[in-house]
Amino acid sequence: MSALLTLERVSAGYGHQQVIRDLSLALGEGQLAALIGPNGHGKTTLLRTISGLLHPSGGTIALEGRRLDRLRPDQIVEAGIIHVPQGDLLFPEMTVLENLRMGAYLPEAAREEARRLEEVFALFPKLRDRQGQLAGTLSGGERRMVGIGRGLMAGGRLLMLDEPSLGLAPIVIDQIYEAIATLRASGRSVLIVEENAMRIAELADVLHLLDNGSFAWSGSGAELLSRPESLAAYLGA
Amino acid sequence: MNVAIQILSSGLTLGAIYALSTIGLSLVYGSLNMLNMAHGALLALGGYVCFYVMGVLGLPGLLGVPAAMLVCGLAGFVVYQLAARPMLASGGFETRIFIATIGIGAILGNVIQRSFGPQPVAQPLALHGALVLGEVYVPYQNLLILFVSVAMMAVVALLLGRTRVGRAIRATAQNRDAAQLMGIRIGRVYAQVLALSGALAALSGILISSLSGLLPNMGGDPMLKAFVICIVAGLGNVFGAVVAAFLLGLLEALIQYLLGVQYSFAILLLIVIAVLIWRPAGLFGRRQVVRL
Ligand SMILES: Nc1ncnc2c1ncn2[C@@H]1O[C@H](COP(=O)(O)OP(=O)(O)OP(=O)(O)O)[C@@H](O)[C@H]1O
Ligand SMILES: [Mg+2]
Repeated sequence: MSALLTLERVSAGYGHQQVIRDLSLALGEGQLAALIGPNGHGKTTLLRTISGLLHPSGGTIALEGRRLDRLRPDQIVEAGIIHVPQGDLLFPEMTVLENLRMGAYLPEAAREEARRLEEVFALFPKLRDRQGQLAGTLSGGERRMVGIGRGLMAGGRLLMLDEPSLGLAPIVIDQIYEAIATLRASGRSVLIVEENAMRIAELADVLHLLDNGSFAWSGSGAELLSRPESLAAYLGA
Repeated sequence: MNVAIQILSSGLTLGAIYALSTIGLSLVYGSLNMLNMAHGALLALGGYVCFYVMGVLGLPGLLGVPAAMLVCGLAGFVVYQLAARPMLASGGFETRIFIATIGIGAILGNVIQRSFGPQPVAQPLALHGALVLGEVYVPYQNLLILFVSVAMMAVVALLLGRTRVGRAIRATAQNRDAAQLMGIRIGRVYAQVLALSGALAALSGILISSLSGLLPNMGGDPMLKAFVICIVAGLGNVFGAVVAAFLLGLLEALIQYLLGVQYSFAILLLIVIAVLIWRPAGLFGRRQVVRL
């Protein structure tokens, strides 16, 4: 299996504060990989570094062998990495439809806009009825759907989701997980950050436990589910 | 009735001028969080470039206006490249760019004064004559100003609402990180916004000087009013700024008629303070940061 995304000894942080330390990662084509771990240990920082919002202070990041770590965020999107950020970051004064269409901003995605819009509506039927509503007035669950849908509009080679179930009611979490399962079944490559390790373990091919800026444990969902007690200290389970 | 037409005519003219000089300022603040203190100098630069092309080179006004917009658009681009861009990379951008643009404005004002002298000159682009409505004279110049401003605002509205460039500008103003994650090159958006703002400033400077003549520091007063309008509307809210500009223009005309010119600015400021006490985020501002 050839790796789609490769990180080698990546370090990143804010000013003098180093958050990610010497971290290496390989994500295969069509894989669903999960980043788990306690709050504030650098999961979001890692995704922001991959998508170029932050520049790594060391190491290399490559997509199918092409170096990304010196590129601008727009170039990284163009290369095929789609980042659905924590907290959605919608465009509040735009409607749901305008938000979704922003996801297809780049010319390559714009050509697929109509088809992908139908796919997004199939995944989240609720959004079809909410098309004309301003994003700033949506409920938390609707916002999340727009955020994920907007990412899907971009297409891309790798989808990165940062805590897609955070802060949602159980029934909405179920809907989001259903969508993730659908994406997985369609063969998409996904890197997902998730606090709920037990739940994502059922879907993920591989899980990485991020502790203090590097991986303290990596393994399959089955391994995690078979012996969760060894990780209980980290996950607070 | 006649009085009403008189007030309406001068109020709408003032409003149109204010709106045009405010849009650029508001766009720049909305997308970059940058208070461009060189805006007034850009207004003057636009006025003088038009004067130079028409009055000195003797070319027609249809060349003078685009030439001025081009020069000021380029000036806006240079402000981005030389000042805003390097400062965006590190912290404290808002304060540093504020001070830097004060400096840029002063330099530009000096260059204009050295090139054209400190004495007032007339803007050659002016219509003579007036439309007679009953007993009221509405100068053609006022109508021209109103028409040009409204047309320009329509162009800006179409640009923001209907084009790819406009979508990128709005997205960047509403969420900088998200815009980048959509594949928008925000550095380019910033440069475009500053260039657009410069071109609008040029047009506005030409219109102002066609009424009151050219002076190297002619941009100071309109810029101050543009800031006032921006704040009344809610900083960064472009459409609100247009509405506020016309409201303040009409109000100013009314105060001038009732109490005289000398009171208009003081009363305007009092009203602004009252508005801000009543609605701290501005008339049309949301509680949080205001956006396009
Ligand atoms: N913009 C920033 N400037 C300075 N420090 C930051 C910034 N963003 C995050 N940090 C710090 O970096 C560390 C890692 O934060 P990060 O958001 O990556 O954690 P996380 O694992 O995603 O947490 P959570 O599960 O709560 O989202 C934290 O200590 C945080 O305070
Ligand atoms: Mg996080």
